[in-house]
Amino acid sequence: MKNLLETIDLRKTYKIGKIEVEALQGVNLRIREGELVAVMGPSGCGKSTLMHLLGAMARPTAGKVLIDGDDIAGMNDGQLTEVRRNKIGFVFQKFNLLPTLTAGDNIAVARHIHGRGGPAHDQHLEEILQMLMIQDKMGRRPSELSGGEQQRVAIARSVANRPAILLADEPTGSLDTKNSEIVLNMFRELNRRFRQTIILVTHNPELVIYTDRLIEMRDGVIVSDNDPFPEDTESELAQPARSV
Amino acid sequence: MNKKMIMAGLAARPVRTTVSILAVALEVTLILVVVGLTSGISYETGKRTEGVGADIMFQPPNSSLILAINNSTMPIALENKIKEVEGVKAVAPVQTLVNSSSGLEIIYGIDPQKFDAVTGGFIWHKGGYFKATDEIVVDDVYALAKKVTVGDQVEVLNHKFKVSGIIEHGKGARLFISQQTAQEMTGMVNRASMFYVKLNDPDQVNTVIGRMEKVFPTYGLRPLREYAKLMMSTSMPALDAFIETVVFVAVCIGVLVIFLSMYTTITERTREIGILRSLGGSKRFIIGLIFQESAVVCLIGIVLGVGSSFLLARLVQFIFPTLIVMITPDWILKASFFALVSGVIGSLYPSMKAAAQDPVEALAYE
Ligand SMILES: Nc1ncnc2c1ncn2[C@@H]1O[C@H](COP(=O)(O)OP(=O)(O)OP(=O)(O)O)[C@@H](O)[C@H]1O
Ligand SMILES: [Mg+2]
Repeated sequence: MKNLLETIDLRKTYKIGKIEVEALQGVNLRIREGELVAVMGPSGCGKSTLMHLLGAMARPTAGKVLIDGDDIAGMNDGQLTEVRRNKIGFVFQKFNLLPTLTAGDNIAVARHIHGRGGPAHDQHLEEILQMLMIQDKMGRRPSELSGGEQQRVAIARSVANRPAILLADEPTGSLDTKNSEIVLNMFRELNRRFRQTIILVTHNPELVIYTDRLIEMRDGVIVSDNDPFPEDTESELAQPARSV
Repeated sequence: MNKKMIMAGLAARPVRTTVSILAVALEVTLILVVVGLTSGISYETGKRTEGVGADIMFQPPNSSLILAINNSTMPIALENKIKEVEGVKAVAPVQTLVNSSSGLEIIYGIDPQKFDAVTGGFIWHKGGYFKATDEIVVDDVYALAKKVTVGDQVEVLNHKFKVSGIIEHGKGARLFISQQTAQEMTGMVNRASMFYVKLNDPDQVNTVIGRMEKVFPTYGLRPLREYAKLMMSTSMPALDAFIETVVFVAVCIGVLVIFLSMYTTITERTREIGILRSLGGSKRFIIGLIFQESAVVCLIGIVLGVGSSFLLARLVQFIFPTLIVMITPDWILKASFFALVSGVIGSLYPSMKAAAQDPVEALAYE
């Protein structure tokens, strides 16, 4: 099976003045196409830091992050941007919709940046909007939508360009139980229906039932990972036959 | 899509957008009206000087071209020496006085006989030359603007004058008093600011000037044909410096306001910039958005500024009918260009700063 994401001894150190915070202290993980993975762990254990690295939003201090086979460690800003544009979709805890634009235009901006020509809506997007039950909300601004609706618009925006990887950092963190369930069901639906690879960070152990695989972190390292294919241990790097 | 985002962004901050647009409009108006006023005055003065009907203007050494409003520094006796030059038909000494209390009025102190000999005489609408020291001749434009007619009193340079006659405009100045009165007012006896010289053959101007230069090597000798055009041309260092200063100040206003507006905008929208970056928007994309936004502000400001310049020109002419504001197409272009340049300069740093934002930090910005 194809490794979409792989980290090798991934380290990230933040410097605040003279103090160094080792947010990630050697993370090794591999995520394959079509997986739905939950990342859990106490606050400050490095979950968001890991997501930023997996999403090409930041560069590692040491180690490798292979996104679809390409190491982002040596990339410049333009290359990182391109990876984000072509391979990644983000969903955030705080929705992060552009407040001055309507829901529809928020999605259109993502498609515009991606450089997708053609009609503003296509079959795929239509299907997603239907699934997320927000087709009739496209003309509204974020301030005119409920939190759950905003997050569903954000999800639609994140997958509008069919990214290889969807990263969601506490997507239910700002939602009540009912909306959290709806949103998580959507993620599962996206995963099942479109084989969308999804990694989502959550604090809530109850929500883990929606995912196939659970990665637990503590103090910047992975402490448990019920990888369903542990035997498939060969690294991308160790497969010279496959062109990267 | 960019257009939609820019418009939505501008509409989300109506006050700041309006103020920025007004500042650009102010920039354009400032340039157009001040330049229009200076060139209007110099062109109009030039036209009038041309209209005197003389062939040569004879000025003191180092005199400036502008308005010919020097102190009366030449002995009036030069008149006879000028007359001796071959080809000269008549010479009229003029003492100029300037009243800048309302608009800019030039008053000529003249000897009627000599002035008429050079100009061929005024076209009289009413009345005639001054017969006493407290009498003044005004042109029809002045009479209309001040609503005066023959016999009325006007106050010029703190002197009360009685209007003795009204003439057709276009002969050097709008106001004429006797040489004697001018000398009393300035305290300069037997002196002249300039001489108008009439030639036997107007086509011999350059030949005669050549002859004069031998006798009066340091004096300012200028042919009066095309004088108005000369006044307008860029060969006027003093006026150029003035206009450059005005343009510079105006551009500074534009740059500062656009800078402040764009700077606060990008700070306020740090998070939005982070969102766009997370969606895969490049640095160039962010910079482009900010430049386009300031360009929209500038374009609206330019249109508003050009419009209000014409309105202001009307207003100036309404309040000071003797002033002329010349708004020319080439200066409209120049002013628009300066406004756009200030938009670009003003957005340079903010756009760079926005693009340099770390996407993760930008997203964390509250
Ligand atoms: N920009 C930063 N500068 C300095 N330290 C940082 C920065 N971002 C994160 N950290 C530190 O790195 C560590 C990991 O932070 P991270 O945000 O990845 O944790 P997290 O697991 O996402 O926590 P939470 O569950 O609270 O979101 C923490 O100790 C945090 O204080
Ligand atoms: Mg976090």
